[in-house]
Amino acid sequence: MRKTFIVAKHEFLATVKTKGFIFSLILPLLILLPMVFAMGFIPQMISETPHNIGFVDETGTLQTSENFIKFEDIGNAKKALLENEINAFFVLPANYFETGKISVYSKGGFFSSRPTSSIEAFLISNLLRESNLDETLKERIKEPANEEVITLNEKGEVEEKSGVGFLIPYALGILLLLAIMTSSGYLMQGIVAEKENKTVEILLSSLSANELLSGKILGFGSAGLLQGLVWFCSVGIILFLSPFASLFQGIQISWILILAIVYFTLGYLLFAGSMACAAAPASTVRDAQQGAMIFTMLGILPMILLNIIIKAPNSVIAKVLTYVPYTTSVTTLMRIALVEVPIYELVASLSILVISVLIMIKLSAKIFRTGILMYGKKMKIKNIFRYLRE
Amino acid sequence: MNEKILDVKNLTKSFDTKIVLDNLSFEVKKGVVFGLLGPNGAGKTTMIRIILDIIRADHGAIKIFGEKFDENLKEKIGYLPEERGLYQKITVLECLRYFAELKNVKKSEDKIDFWLDKVGLMDYKKKKMEGLSKGMQQKIQLVAAFIHNPELLILDEPFSGLDPINTKMAKDILLDLKREGKTIILSTHQMDQVERTCDRILMINRGKRVLYGSLDEIKSNYKESLVVEYEGDLGRIEGVKKINDYGKYAELSLEEDIEPQEALKRLIEVVRIRRFEMKAPSLNEIFIEVVENA
Repeated sequence: MRKTFIVAKHEFLATVKTKGFIFSLILPLLILLPMVFAMGFIPQMISETPHNIGFVDETGTLQTSENFIKFEDIGNAKKALLENEINAFFVLPANYFETGKISVYSKGGFFSSRPTSSIEAFLISNLLRESNLDETLKERIKEPANEEVITLNEKGEVEEKSGVGFLIPYALGILLLLAIMTSSGYLMQGIVAEKENKTVEILLSSLSANELLSGKILGFGSAGLLQGLVWFCSVGIILFLSPFASLFQGIQISWILILAIVYFTLGYLLFAGSMACAAAPASTVRDAQQGAMIFTMLGILPMILLNIIIKAPNSVIAKVLTYVPYTTSVTTLMRIALVEVPIYELVASLSILVISVLIMIKLSAKIFRTGILMYGKKMKIKNIFRYLRE
Repeated sequence: MNEKILDVKNLTKSFDTKIVLDNLSFEVKKGVVFGLLGPNGAGKTTMIRIILDIIRADHGAIKIFGEKFDENLKEKIGYLPEERGLYQKITVLECLRYFAELKNVKKSEDKIDFWLDKVGLMDYKKKKMEGLSKGMQQKIQLVAAFIHNPELLILDEPFSGLDPINTKMAKDILLDLKREGKTIILSTHQMDQVERTCDRILMINRGKRVLYGSLDEIKSNYKESLVVEYEGDLGRIEGVKKINDYGKYAELSLEEDIEPQEALKRLIEVVRIRRFEMKAPSLNEIFIEVVENA
């Protein structure tokens, strides 16, 4: 066990010190920050741009208010627009009540847009002023729906989730898959690199193949977990500081995080064992990647079938993927986000995963021991049975 | 000195249908330098890997230090494999510290300093491995095998990649270790090194034991050779079974029924002899004869 930890420490430090790993840690920030900026701040800038809106009223209905300036004719309004006194103006024609048509004038440019919603609100307010309706009713017409989304489970009970709550496990599913794939990818590259630089035989003269493989799995897995947590925290902090922060208030994420760590650990161990089987007999990273293709394809299957899982989380396909060892981690986590997955399904999914991990660790230890000193071989089914017999 | 460090009995190993080791038995006693010889593909590396439990034998038994193999015994063994290399992106110190930690070495930096000083690489301690020459890296690999002061050293081609000065240095270190009572198994194709260094040898060919014993015992089974330094074109000489010709120097194995004097007469007719002597055949000659006649 002591030697396993020495190998784990060596692999962990060797991985986290690489430029690639450090870059991968800041990658979500690089991708997410501009996205949040684009989705959150730009629309605000656009909506706040037309502070002063002019209007030409041929019906005599509208009254000047704080941000709406009245013009007597289109010529004056155009002049004010071109001299930047107003950001836009609209014309309410004499037949407006029959047609509902208005003309909106604005200048072109990156940040300019037609202030449709502001004009609509201004028109509703003026039109209601003309009516004899109750003030409360007028307010409801101005703001007819202040939405609160309530989700029911299969028993008809209310689930305490907000409308955007599903985004968290959905994002976790993607992060989980990325973390599992990258850390097991690191493991695969690490094994092949030691074969290529011929250090593996020196190592095997100091510790057993099982200790070496366990150390590598632990070291690269820790690096992957660190990567996943950094990603999770950066996404959390960015969202918390973004204009969408209020949408996530009240969401309990602690249990989801715990479940995500459990699924990451088990999912990673399964993929790590599989990648070790592919990498041990391979001489180059390319050979190893070819050998690992089947595991990679199975791993990304939930992403390929994402639409089906989201639209029908209790469909046969989603349920089958819950019971397939290579797809269960990501699928189950995404299903939890959308529906209340029965406890027995969770237990079954975790049990299948644990059993698969135990079998894969035993299998990979045998294949690793025999394959690691073989050069110029590719992962083939007939070889697997031979290695297991060795 | 009669303590058995390694006792191998009836070792057999096959890969698919190919028998790599065929019922091989031998023993290595404490404090000797034991030469392990054989042509390429003879099964030497497989045997070493089985001794170290890196791969498993199909049949047979091995005892190291009088015990069945146990993972803890690896700390008493230093190994320099034939297929070897080092981590290129880390420093000499980091690399040796990692190997030393795996061998459970306490205060590893003191030992690393001692050995780096001994092989003349102290100035490179904090340099990245990729900046070292092939010969320097070879010396680092030797240090990695010695760092934990092992009782048994298994060295596969330890002199390959070393210039004559470093070869001498490596050989001197091995002899110092022998004097300290360490046991050394030396697998090499450099017959002159084996002849000068090894106390006993084992030669295997196609997985079978073909020679085993002390050098004197082995040589006593072979007829003396006629060694000549000459000028001219040697060609084929009647009565000479085999010629190991180096251009100006040749070792001649004579037919059973021919006297050395008669062979010399025939030689004088075709080349100018500058020096001649009768001597026991070199290990190189024996090696070639054994392998070619197999």
